[in-house]
Amino acid sequence: MAKDMTLLWGSGSPPCWRIQIILEEKQLQGYNQKQFSFEKMEHKSQEVLDMNPRGQLPAFKFGNHILNESYAACFFLENQYKSQGNKLIPDSPDAQALMYQRMFEAFTLVEKMMNAMYYNFKVPEGERHDSAIHRNKEAMTAELKLWEGYLKKTNCCLAGQEFTLADVLVYPFIAYMFHYGLSSERYPALAKYYNSLKDRPSIKATWPPYWQKYADQDALKTI
Amino acid sequence: MAKDMTLLWGSGSAPCWRVMIMLEEKQLQGYNQKLLSFEKMEHKSQEVLDMNPRGQLPAFKCGKHILNESYAACFFLENQYKSQGTKLIPDSPDAQALMYQRLFEAVPLYQKIVEIVLYNYRVPEGERHDSAVQRNKEGLTAELKLWEGYLNKTDCCLAGKEFTLADVLFFPNVAFLFRLGLSSERYPALTKYYNGLKDRPSIKATWPPHWQTTPGPGIMNTV
Repeated sequence: MAKDMTLLWGSGSPPCWRIQIILEEKQLQGYNQKQFSFEKMEHKSQEVLDMNPRGQLPAFKFGNHILNESYAACFFLENQYKSQGNKLIPDSPDAQALMYQRMFEAFTLVEKMMNAMYYNFKVPEGERHDSAIHRNKEAMTAELKLWEGYLKKTNCCLAGQEFTLADVLVYPFIAYMFHYGLSSERYPALAKYYNSLKDRPSIKATWPPYWQKYADQDALKTI
Repeated sequence: MAKDMTLLWGSGSAPCWRVMIMLEEKQLQGYNQKLLSFEKMEHKSQEVLDMNPRGQLPAFKCGKHILNESYAACFFLENQYKSQGTKLIPDSPDAQALMYQRLFEAVPLYQKIVEIVLYNYRVPEGERHDSAVQRNKEGLTAELKLWEGYLNKTDCCLAGKEFTLADVLFFPNVAFLFRLGLSSERYPALTKYYNGLKDRPSIKATWPPHWQTTPGPGIMNTV
């Protein structure tokens, strides 16, 4: 029941957004939720630490189950609510295999994006090198090129014609990248994907109220 | 059918080992496989690139389905072979939730291990800093402390009393750590977990071949 669920979240965090999307997809609106501010370091507050010792958002509780990893929460919810709301893991082996492959490749996409966008957060001043910044940018570009290729070969969604768990998990990061200035001209297939799902009810209803300012709004303009 | 499956793999690679353990657990022995050498850069050979444009191992094909991400391969195989071999996703919500949470927490654990092991490979000489090496080590130490805590509170396996998909995905990470000299004294719960599963048939049968004949570098001695 939605009433037995609690989500602690932060605005503009794709992992938090994933859980919000799936709760809509599975018709689990009405869950308890509380918004926290990353800027005020509230993700390190006792309230969050009590649910997630890692001091990270999302923190998600369902009855007595703790599912702080966004993928874990999404898989568990899909499993527990298979016959409620939209079916997000297709039966067709073709679509299923492609769905799994893409959703797990997304770990690499996110890692390369974080290395490029958050270099100054992750690397102390005395350790920074232009050569590293350059290399991270090239790695992200190469990665995005792969995803352009994937999306050129598919229909509306990552695994084919149907919206699946792969889209729940990956779309938030695609939207994140376009917010921070990713070029539609250089990435038309990604832009098409982004635009075609923007108005999907579960996505529209949970669109981040605001985006974090610690990354420049044009951070990805030159990728 | 195992005969329709092909695995390109490298010895000592945790992601490769996960897929091999899975194939044993699901009684899919007899798959086509080829052992390649990382040292000879065979993971960048045309044969691998044809199956995995990322030039990484494992590269896995199941019929016409490409599942190069080890998590994707394992999830797909469990789904397609639910009623064959060991049941690896438990029905009990308690065990299932814990399984999902741990198996996805294993992702940042593996990233932290790789960051240390591949530091000199990924970071050109002019960009290396002792402070970064130290920070990576501290990151892994903090992470392992969490896992010591988790394993102190559970039975033989990550999700309780039964071996699940979480163990298929996590055990190779642990074995890799001990191979690299992780201290049993400092990590008794991890040691107990490791010793408790190293003779499990699927694990014993797929133990990295070169680990039996050569000692490992003590990279993790002081973690």
